[in-house]
Formats: sequence, C-alpha cells, structure tokens
Amino acid sequence: MGDYRVLNTRAPRVDAVAKATGQAKYADDFSMPGMLHAAILQSPVAHARILHIDTSKAKKLAGVKAVVTSREAGLIKYGVSPARYDETLFAHDKVRYVGDEIAAVAAFDQATAQEALSLIKVDYEELPAVFDMFEAMKEGAPQIHAEFPGNMNAEVHQEFGDTEAALASCDYVVNHTFLNKRQDAAFIEPHSCLAVFDPSGRLTLYTSTQVPHYVMRTVAMTLQIPVGNVRVVKPYVGGGFGPKCEATPLEMSCGLLAKITGKPVKMTYTREQVFLHSRARHQFFAEMSLGVMKDGTMVALKNKAVLDGGAYTSFGIATVYYSGSLLGGPYKLRSMKYDGYRVYTNKPACGAQRGHGGVAHRACFEQLIDMTAEKIGMDPIEMRLKNIMTTGDMTVNELDMSSLGMKECIETIKAGSDWDNKKGKLPRGKGIGMACGFFVSGAGYPIYRSDTYHSTVVIKLSEDGGVANVLTGSAEIGQGSDTTMAMIAAETLGIPLDNVRVYSGDTDYSVDLGAYSSRQTLMTGHATKQAAEEIRNKIALYLSEELDVPVASITFSDGIVKFDGGAGNFDKLRTNYIKEHRGWTDPPSGEYLTFREAARLAYLKAGTIVGTGKYKPPKLGGSYKGAAVGTSPAYGCSAQIVEVSVDLETGQITIDAMTDAHDCGLAINRTSVEGQMQGSLSMGLGECLFEQVKFDSRGRIINPSLGEYKIPTALDMPKVKSIIVESNEPNGPYGAKEVGEGAIMPTIPAILNAIYDATGVRVNELPVTSERLFMTLKKKAEEA
Amino acid sequence: MLLPRFDYYEPATLEEALRLLSEMGGNARVIAGGTDLLVRMKLKVEKPGYLISLRKIPGLDAIVRRENHGVTIGPAVTAAELSRNELLLDRFTPIALAAGRLGAPVVRNRATIGGNLVNARPAADLPPACMVLDATLKLKSFSNEREIPVGEFFRGPGQTVIEPNELLVSIFAPIPAPWTGGAYIKLGARKALEISMVNVAVILTLQSPQGPIIDAKIALGAVAPTPVRAFAAEEFLIGRQPSDDVFAQAGVIGVGMCEPITDHRGTMEYRCLMIETLTSRALRQAYEKALTWKP
Repeated sequence: MGDYRVLNTRAPRVDAVAKATGQAKYADDFSMPGMLHAAILQSPVAHARILHIDTSKAKKLAGVKAVVTSREAGLIKYGVSPARYDETLFAHDKVRYVGDEIAAVAAFDQATAQEALSLIKVDYEELPAVFDMFEAMKEGAPQIHAEFPGNMNAEVHQEFGDTEAALASCDYVVNHTFLNKRQDAAFIEPHSCLAVFDPSGRLTLYTSTQVPHYVMRTVAMTLQIPVGNVRVVKPYVGGGFGPKCEATPLEMSCGLLAKITGKPVKMTYTREQVFLHSRARHQFFAEMSLGVMKDGTMVALKNKAVLDGGAYTSFGIATVYYSGSLLGGPYKLRSMKYDGYRVYTNKPACGAQRGHGGVAHRACFEQLIDMTAEKIGMDPIEMRLKNIMTTGDMTVNELDMSSLGMKECIETIKAGSDWDNKKGKLPRGKGIGMACGFFVSGAGYPIYRSDTYHSTVVIKLSEDGGVANVLTGSAEIGQGSDTTMAMIAAETLGIPLDNVRVYSGDTDYSVDLGAYSSRQTLMTGHATKQAAEEIRNKIALYLSEELDVPVASITFSDGIVKFDGGAGNFDKLRTNYIKEHRGWTDPPSGEYLTFREAARLAYLKAGTIVGTGKYKPPKLGGSYKGAAVGTSPAYGCSAQIVEVSVDLETGQITIDAMTDAHDCGLAINRTSVEGQMQGSLSMGLGECLFEQVKFDSRGRIINPSLGEYKIPTALDMPKVKSIIVESNEPNGPYGAKEVGEGAIMPTIPAILNAIYDATGVRVNELPVTSERLFMTLKKKAEEA
Repeated sequence: MLLPRFDYYEPATLEEALRLLSEMGGNARVIAGGTDLLVRMKLKVEKPGYLISLRKIPGLDAIVRRENHGVTIGPAVTAAELSRNELLLDRFTPIALAAGRLGAPVVRNRATIGGNLVNARPAADLPPACMVLDATLKLKSFSNEREIPVGEFFRGPGQTVIEPNELLVSIFAPIPAPWTGGAYIKLGARKALEISMVNVAVILTLQSPQGPIIDAKIALGAVAPTPVRAFAAEEFLIGRQPSDDVFAQAGVIGVGMCEPITDHRGTMEYRCLMIETLTSRALRQAYEKALTWKP
C-alpha cells in the first residue's frame, strides 16, 4: 500500500452537508412553471386480452392535457438485453400481470390525473393466468408470450470438465435444495421523473436512476428521438440496489407526454407502484450436488436453477447466467455443470438486485459445504481453507482472480469471532455459522454489444487554479461514488479533498454505464485517475519548462509542489503570480510553491487546463456461450461469521453478532466501505428472516407497503464487526475493487449455518420466519 | 397517494366537538394521531366528509391518578407517553408494555390510546392490556353519557359499540390489588413495526408472595375477531399455587378460547401453539413482577 494523503482515510462524504441540511434535491423536489402531473393506468387483472380501450371521457375531463396509449406510443420493443426485447411502453394486445401499463395521462394537477385514469374504459377478456414457476413450465400451462413456448424465457446449459464422471469418482456426493422468495429492494425514494421537451427538440429527464446512460439510450429508442437529443440528469437518489438499473415506463411516459404537450411533465410512483414495477430479486430454486474426496478436497459441482422471472425479461438473461457462473469460485473445482431456466409467470418482472443472480445459489452452495464438512467430520472453516483460491487462480469457467484475499478474510473472522471456542461448543438454542462469497468489480461487458468506453471522465481546473472540477456521468445513488471520485482526483493531483468538486450523473458530462455490477470505483475510478494524471502532467511540464528542471523531479501533494522533494527555487513564479494578482485577498505565502499558483500560471500560458480519462476492460473470459457474464477486471470477496439465538419454544431467531471481513483491494474511503458491508448484511438478514413479496390467488400483491413488507429495523440488526481486508488489485485504480454487492453473498448461508448449529435443523426455504423454523423443529421432534 | 377531499374542524372545547359530531354523524371521523385513519383514507378505504381533530381540546391528553382507587387516561394520550409513564409501568404494567411495542418510535409519538381502542383491529396492542386491567370507557355524546366495560366494547374487526355521535372521552382503570403483577408479550416477525401474530396481556394477583393465586386475568389479541379473555384459564389459576406447570396448563386451556385464522402473517396451527407458549410465559413474567410488588 502506498503512503496516501487522501485515499484510505475516513474523509467525510462530499455530499454530507447537502444531505444533512436538506438542501439535497431529489427528483420529486423538482418543479417547473407550467408543469403537468402525470399518472399511469395499470392493469387490475393478471392476464387478459385487451379488446378495447376508450379514452374519450378522460380526454374530455377539464384539466387533462394528454392521454396516451399504445396508439400514441407505438409498439417499439425494448428491454434490458437486446437479445430479449419483450416489452412495449403500453400493453396493446395483452396485459400480462397486475400492474402492466396500459395508458398514461398528463393533467394540471395530480387529483385530475387520477380522476382521468378512472375515466379510461378498458374491455378485457380474461385469460387463465399462472403464478408459480413450476406450474408455468408444465404442459398445458397458460402461455404468456407467443414467442416463448412453454413460458421458457431463457435456458442456460454449461459444463466445464466431465461432471458426471468426476462425481462418480468422489468419496462423497452431498445434495441440497434451496428456495428463496421474491424480494423488493425497499429503497426509500420511489421512482420519480420530471421530463422537459424544449422547442429545439431536446428531451431532458431529471430522474431517479442508477443508469443515466442506459435510460438515455432506451428512451431515445422508444420515443424515436435521436440519442444526441436526449439528456438524462440524475439528481440525488435515495437508493437503488438494482431495480433502478433500467429505463422505466414512468420515465418513458413522462418523456412522451412532455413531447406531446410541450410542457414539463412529472410523475412519482407510489410505494405500491414501486412494488408493481418490481425488477427486484427473483425467486430462485436451486438444486445442487457437491462431490468431495474423504480428505475434504472439492471435486465437482452440479447446479440447477429455476428462476421465476415474472411477465417480462428485464435483466433476467444476465441473472440466469450469474446463478451459474458465480459459483466458479472461491473454491477450486475440477468440474462444474450448470443448467438454468428462467420462466415467465403472470407477475411483475424481476431483475437485478444487490448480488445479482448469485445470492440464492451462494446460499445453497455454502450450506452444502457445511453439510459435506459435517459428513466427513471436518471443521467447515478448515474445509473451506483446504479448497480456497488465492491470487492468480483461475476458475473452471475462466474467471481470473487477479487478487483474492479470501483466505485472509476467513482467518480474520475466525480470530475475530473466537470461532474455535464456540463452534460445536454452544448450548442448544445458540449457534455459530460461517460462509464466504465473491463478486464482480464491474461487468466485463456493457449490456448492449459495443466497443464503447465504460467510463470517461473530464477534469477541468478552474482558471484561478484553485479547484479541480470532475465531470462524470457516473451515478451517485447514496453509495458514495462522488466522494470516491473526489478522493481519487485529490490524491492523484496532490491537492486537498476540499479543492475538488464533483459534477456527476449527467449524460452531458461524460459516458458512464452507471451504478450497477459494483463497477464505478474500479471503472470510473480508473478514468478519474487518468484524467487527473493528465492534468498533473500538464502542470509538471509547464513548471519544467519555466524553471528548467526535469519533469521527474516535480511532485504534488497536499496542495504543494516540491522539486526533488524540497522547496526548490521558484521565486520567479511567485513574483509573477503576485504581480498578476495585486489586490487579491489571499496571496500565496510559505516556503513551497502551491498547486494553485502553478495551475493559475499554467493557465495564463496555455489556456484552460483539462484532463480526460477513459476506461474499458480488456477482453475477458472464455469463448463458450455466455462466457461474458461473470467476467470482471477484478473480484472482491468476503467471509462472515454469524451468531444466533433461537427461541426453541417459538422459533424466533435473534442474530446476536456478525463478524464480516471483506477484501475490497485498497479501501478508498474506509467509512464508506464499512457502510457498504453493513448495508449488505442488513439486506441479507432481511431476505433471510423476513422478506417476501406475497400475492393473492389472482396475482395481486398483498403487502405492497413498507409496513407489511418487512425489512429489518434497527432493533433487528446485531452488533457488526466489519473488518476491511486489503489486497492490492493490479487491475484497480490504486489497487481498489468492489464492496457494494459481494458483501451480501455470505450473509444468508452464514445465518442458516448458525441456525443449524443452534437447532440441528436445516431450513431450505426462505424466509426463516419463526413459524417456519418452529414447524420444522416440531416435525423433526415428531419424527424422532 | 392523495387524501380524498374532506372538511377539517379543530374544536377548542369538548362540547363543541360533541356538537359537531352530533350534527355530522356518520359522515365524520374523529382524528387524533391519524396513524391509522390517514392511511386508510389514502387507500380510499374510508372517505369521511369531515374530520374532527381533538388536538385543541384541553385535558384529553392527561394521565390522572385517582387517589388510591385508579387512573384516568385521556383518549389523546400517545403510546409514547403511556410507555414511559411511571405509574402505568408500576401498577398498570400491561398498558405501558403494550404501548411500548406499538409500531416504532415515530408511530408511538402520534398514535393514541383512544385511536387504538376505537379502531378495534383484532391484533391491536392496547385492547388486551386494557381488558386485563378491567378498564371502563366513558362514551359521551352531545346529549348523553355512558360508561362501558372495555370487555363489552368490541364487536368485530373495526367494529365497536360506539355510536357515530359519541366520543371516547376517558379510560378508567381501577388500581389492582396488592401483590399484583402484569405482563404483555407480542409475537411478530421482527422486533419493531409489527402487527401481532399473537399477543397476550396478563394480570396475576397473589394472596402473598408465598401464594396462592387469588386473581388472574388473561386477554389475547389476533386470535379471534375481537380480543378475547381466557376466562377458563383464569378460573383454573385462581386458588392454585403458582408454578411453571400450572402456568403451562393455563396456556393449554387458553388456546380453547381462541379461533385464530390463517393469513399471510401466520397459520392457525402456529398461532394456537403460540397462544399456549406465550400465555404460560406471560403468566411467569407477571408472577415475577408480582413478587417485586411494593406498597
């Protein structure tokens, strides 16, 4: 690790004051003169043919400015992955889930917009619907998309090595199944968008998104506006976690209505609409077999997945690949076979959520390892360490672990939780469990096939020399990316953090694919570093010429320029500067030349000083079908130990303590890294113990509110010991890599392994409510 | 979500409030904390033409000790206030404990005891607690006044005996006998912001620290259309020496009083099993509290 002045500290977030004082503006805070309020009509039935839509009454209502359906919007197909564009902005022939969008209205206030919705008459011919993924796969099930017979949205079959032969050669083969439940990401800020269409034909969206770049492209495509005429601006965002990774009907409707009316149009989803839009974690069914030798050597893994995709594809193609590819590590395997199926059902579409595609299968796999360790009489930590990958290892599916502190993470939590004195030694009702996991630091390829840079950054020095302005299209969504970029720029330029300003989240600033797949620290970070280096080099070159010293002798840190490590002779420059700035209030003083003086004088000579940076990963991965999904320039990894108490008379579970170690390469901001670790644990805990989007028999969500959809409260979270493990990632800027998603991987299986340790029962279905655990215990007692 | 249109009144006196209620009748709803009502109005489950606020009426938010015979609680006392009131914590323990488990701090700062009773949700926290304390509710209209035991107040989910022109103006609970202890246990999915799967309030009175039990009251929530008293279990306890075994038997008898439903929060089978466990647990806690009784 280098000797850093800004990086690796606990610098306060650059947006702390704006957020703490309420000055930070979110999309719904925006208002414009003449602004219209929009609303969307959503299907009340799960599956039906649309016979007729009559908007005449709604159009006649006073105050209504526009009513649009597929007739106005057209039938341009869109989606996330170009391989599966299966949505149109508005349903035209069929609705496929309760919530499917049919029409949108713009009116002078929200009450009028709502009243207009109630005046739109839709005649439906109801069709049989299917809500269960296994039912949907059966012959004779209602067919949701004519183009996808059998409701089969996507199938993946991959094999590395001869898995059956390898399993046959093993001393033990252990099997396990696992079923999670559909989640909601429960971000605090619902989707919201303000669209402005100006007379020159330019559309600007102010929208709550993780991906301004992809929203720009999708909206341009569906609304038939040249992509250069669409600008997407992301204000402050109150959380995303994955479901805000794609363009929404809300954004497209606002854009279309703004285009038609010529007025600014705003819409914000209600919480219920957030649930209906969904695009959050799928329901996964996992079925696995792990083959090992007597000494604990892992040999082969067979893995099958069935995903309940809901009515459309969303991110689902990537999801169903990830469920297989993300089990390639962090243990050495000789062969691995994966069969994945993503199935359409008449429910809201599922998409990406923190730990995309990997979480449920990781949970199954890490339980399976504990079950196997028990069978061969080995400590589960010992078994993991025996098979662990280290830096430089390559998985069977060709993922390159260019740095991997997995072993260090395990050893750290083992010591940090007093594992040896607790494992197997706790009284009944108390348990301890552990698990590991890893995740990408940015997807190796964009969602659409392209040679585009994944991130570009422009840094422009202010002409007084005092401030570096970082311009990036990257998305600060609460995770702290603006602070990360400011710290990287400050470190590289050798100036204090206060002298950097970040302007982000605007497609006019730069190309950036956005906040998904834990990519910005590595990718936007690289581009930021490169842009800052260019500026630093320009100033160094100027100084070298003016003072006739070698460029290599010049260094920058803490806002000061040094020559051969000392003050050097820069009298000429200071005199020039003071002459130039007679009457200014803050003349430079001190024994060293300041960055501000150097940057100002360089400007006087050459004009505005700008640096640009860019990043795209090298070609990654193997050549087999689907090899791109799971590739990344780097992988973060983590290990967790969870301690639980189980009330054996009620089944209630209390998480007493969590010890978490994460290898994020160099921790750019230590506080932010810990925040991501703890946030991941909380989300994993919620999915494990409480969360489930529930439907009635007609496909309507029963619990579309944060009262009835239960995420953990502060009282449910235990004390968390977060330990940062730092490897030096050769492909990351300053050795940095991900923490935002990988940290969730071990949480669910660590809890489940601890519950097993406490009770002797394995629960293979989430959420582990008190009832589910109590009934499982009761059944086991009755069988005994 | 938008609220439907309504007219809003803030009467400054009780008399004025009662007059408004008598004039508007069924088309008016009384609002105190609004934690339930405003949500239901946003969902369009309720569309009252008028809201009558209690916030300007003096005295409705007071907890008043009645010398040595009881306590009077105003309907606008918040759950937060109930949960930290020392008199309630000491002598009327189930009310304070139940109030402390209602929602989360931000909800408790607004939600009131009057609202929690009048809403009559089967899983509400305060009704079982008021029932074991033998509370009496005073209902007042512009021209009339009556008192009704809380046990006769509830009629079904969301249904009570209160007339559209009546206002719940006070809750009175007599001070329990010496060597009485109380408890409240709530079972939900998480540790706060929960709607009970089952809740149990208990009062246990001992003749002396050595026993026997001379009075017992058990009320259960979320197990029937209204909160219910487990009379048979209470009768079983009276006269017996307190013990884990006796408490466990009382739990089994308690289940017999209930007819819980299966819904998305829990099944009938699990609820029944939990009534048994939690009743005996609450009795044990009440017993331990009774042993710490001080004059």
